[in-house]
Amino acid sequence: MAVDPDDTGQLVRGAAGGDEVAWRGLVDRFSGLVWAVARAHRLGDADAADVYQTTWLRLAEHIRRIDHPDRVGAWLATAARRECLQSLRAAGRVLPTDDMDRLDLTPLTGNPTEETVLAAEQEREDADRAALVWQALDRLSARCRELLRVLMASPPPSYAEIAAALGLPLGSIGPTRARCLQRLREEVAGITGGASSSN
Amino acid sequence: MRDSDDELEAELRQLAARRDPVPAQLHQAAVDAFSWRDIDAEIAELVYDSLLDADPASLVRGPADQRLVSFAIGGMTIDLEVTGVGPGRTVMGQIVPPQRATVDIRHPRDTVTVEADDLGRFRSGPLPSGPASLRLRPPPGADGPVIVTDWVAL
Repeated sequence: MAVDPDDTGQLVRGAAGGDEVAWRGLVDRFSGLVWAVARAHRLGDADAADVYQTTWLRLAEHIRRIDHPDRVGAWLATAARRECLQSLRAAGRVLPTDDMDRLDLTPLTGNPTEETVLAAEQEREDADRAALVWQALDRLSARCRELLRVLMASPPPSYAEIAAALGLPLGSIGPTRARCLQRLREEVAGITGGASSSN
Repeated sequence: MRDSDDELEAELRQLAARRDPVPAQLHQAAVDAFSWRDIDAEIAELVYDSLLDADPASLVRGPADQRLVSFAIGGMTIDLEVTGVGPGRTVMGQIVPPQRATVDIRHPRDTVTVEADDLGRFRSGPLPSGPASLRLRPPPGADGPVIVTDWVAL
């Protein structure tokens, strides 16, 4: 029987029965979410890797005991969040390092042939815009940065998963998302206009 | 505003995928996690972690010094005292009620096996930091369930 990759509950039940393909489907579906939870808590590479790996090992061990298979994304987000808080406590800090600072903003360059000149131009513009948005993200409040970093996961997480990832009430996610996207828009406009808007 | 919000969200998603993707070797580690399942074992769940559950004001001994972690299943608990030694970790364990057991200390790169004595005490050698889980087996010649603990990052 083919496993529908979009049916999370079916993937969980398949993996619980020992189906490695179903497990791989779960990893593909929620890998980005687990990583985003670690990054939203501003963990560096090594700590984020520990959180990510511990979370998946824990799910593998619990896979036959998941009460709500269709909500395994929220289960993972909750487990990852707990690991993040433990990691921050272990490091004795509540203000993690800034992962936005060490992102590579260098545009990818291809061979500068005639054919690629226009594409390179477009790429440069895209990279400029990307750098701008990334910079604007860093100017947001901690709450907005955290929420947007989880929201940015691929594939898109549900509001329930975002709420679990950040320990927030489900009903607050929609309004906070709208407010934070608006704040981001204002920051981008502020940087573009040369004015630094107050936060 | 909703459409433009969705557009901005999609743009952010592309940005994250390009600039902070899940490292490929980690994705593979998540796939490999499936092979660590012990389908015959019972799970002793994490019930206490001093890093999360202790009153922060009581953690006066410093962050990496000593950490207490407890797992429970049925009437049994497994208490661990985790000590940081540079980048490494050492674990001292106590099974309650006291009993002998063979203890596999599992981490993604290796498994180290030690014996718990008559008083249920065991201790590891140096371990790497990162995810770890214990598997308790009845001592040689004895019968009983196999128990694994939740994975925790040491």
